Amino acid sequence: MTDHVRHDGRRLALLAAVAVVLAVAGAVIVALGLRPSAVGPAAAPARTVTEEVTGPPGQRELQAPAPTPAPTSASAAEAAAPAADLGPILPASEPVRLDIPSIDVHSDVLEPLAVGADGVLPAPADYALPGWYTGGPNPGQLGPAVIAGHVDGPSGPAVFYRLGELAVGAEVMVTRADGTVATFVIDAVERYAKADFPTARVYGNTTDRAELRLITCGGAFDAASGHYVDNIVAFAHLIA
Amino acid sequence: MRSTTRRIALAGFGAALLLPAGVGSAFAADGNANANLTPVALNGVEASGTAMVTVMGTTLTVTMAADRLLPDVPHAAHIHFGAEARNECPAATDDASGDGTLNTTEGGPAYGGIVVSLTKTGDTSPASALAVDRFDTAPGGRIAYQRGSIEVEPAVAQAIVDGKSVVVIHGVDHNDDGTYSGDVASDLEPSLPTEATDPALCGVLAAAPAGSVAAGAGGTAQSGAQGGTLLVGGGLLAAAVGVGAFAARRVRATV
Repeated sequence: MTDHVRHDGRRLALLAAVAVVLAVAGAVIVALGLRPSAVGPAAAPARTVTEEVTGPPGQRELQAPAPTPAPTSASAAEAAAPAADLGPILPASEPVRLDIPSIDVHSDVLEPLAVGADGVLPAPADYALPGWYTGGPNPGQLGPAVIAGHVDGPSGPAVFYRLGELAVGAEVMVTRADGTVATFVIDAVERYAKADFPTARVYGNTTDRAELRLITCGGAFDAASGHYVDNIVAFAHLIA
Repeated sequence: MRSTTRRIALAGFGAALLLPAGVGSAFAADGNANANLTPVALNGVEASGTAMVTVMGTTLTVTMAADRLLPDVPHAAHIHFGAEARNECPAATDDASGDGTLNTTEGGPAYGGIVVSLTKTGDTSPASALAVDRFDTAPGGRIAYQRGSIEVEPAVAQAIVDGKSVVVIHGVDHNDDGTYSGDVASDLEPSLPTEATDPALCGVLAAAPAGSVAAGAGGTAQSGAQGGTLLVGGGLLAAAVGVGAFAARRVRATV
């Protein structure tokens, strides 16, 4: 009898433990399932808008020019102000092909994108194509070149579905009409609520080098508005 | 319950009222503008470049790169703006003299007067517009320029933020002899040939796009992945209830 009771007690403890484990695992999984941003397109780490003030990744402090008196000769001017180091810079040439091997993006067409009367950059009309912002620098020129693409279409993944998976250090190749290939390396992949979109960080000056931004949607999908609530932005700079 | 809901709604309304005011004040005099520099019409230049201007109050930081300019000669560079100008780069139709090239004066109706001289050192006011010994000489045809702490009038800062100013790099080679030469004197400085001051590259400093991009239609947002997750989690919860109930029955049966 005592043996039987002890045996039952152990079994009950085991059953209770199993019930607790199942309940906790179930609750966690349900919570994950209910949290919209946890599933669907790859999610980049969220970033608060307060970090906007730190400027683009890799941004270096501008050196305040020393208050030197105006030089009196050309040689003095040359000595006082050597050419700025802007890293590799390519001449103007429109992008004709985009390759991001690590997330299997390959497109031999880029849709030209121009801002509308509202000042907003539209996404490409074609869900399968990336688009480049024609008002910005060509990829490879000094400044922030911008390529945007949809994360998904009405019925499935679109060209930038996996953008949030991009790792720091990944390479992005943009082939240009002049035959040159601008190679960029990813510096950061960030996610922002659209309401807090850091315009200056994304489209603003890159300080002293050629850079690239890849933009798509992310976060939760608001069925009422028909839009995602976040943008995912990958920042890259030109290495060759 | 109802009063709580109402309080939350009012708080949200208050936040909505505050938001636009905050945005407005933050952007009043600050901003970024970018220019794609392209060859000026009629002047036989095949160069290209970009320029970026950051405006903080009345202080500018300018970064500019260009290449394939006439090498090793000074290239005057300016920011132009005119309240009466078209705030754009000149077209072939601006060739008032009909000589087949555009000089700086002929570009005036398009881009206005000089408001900033992009010198490498010293004064940056319009007074330094032709300070040829302080402009970049484009070694190898390339300019890599950066300068901060450029002070301007508030109206100029505002024009730049509003996308109404124009960057112009001067210095062309109409006769393809590799230097500034020719019989035609500059419209700005008679001691210089017009090649030294004719506009080569031009670009409107445009304001950056505003805000976010709508780049998704939701086709993957509510799909099987999420439903599947809920199903698995729900199943585990149901199993937990079942195991718990079984254990409880065993307890009752034993006691």
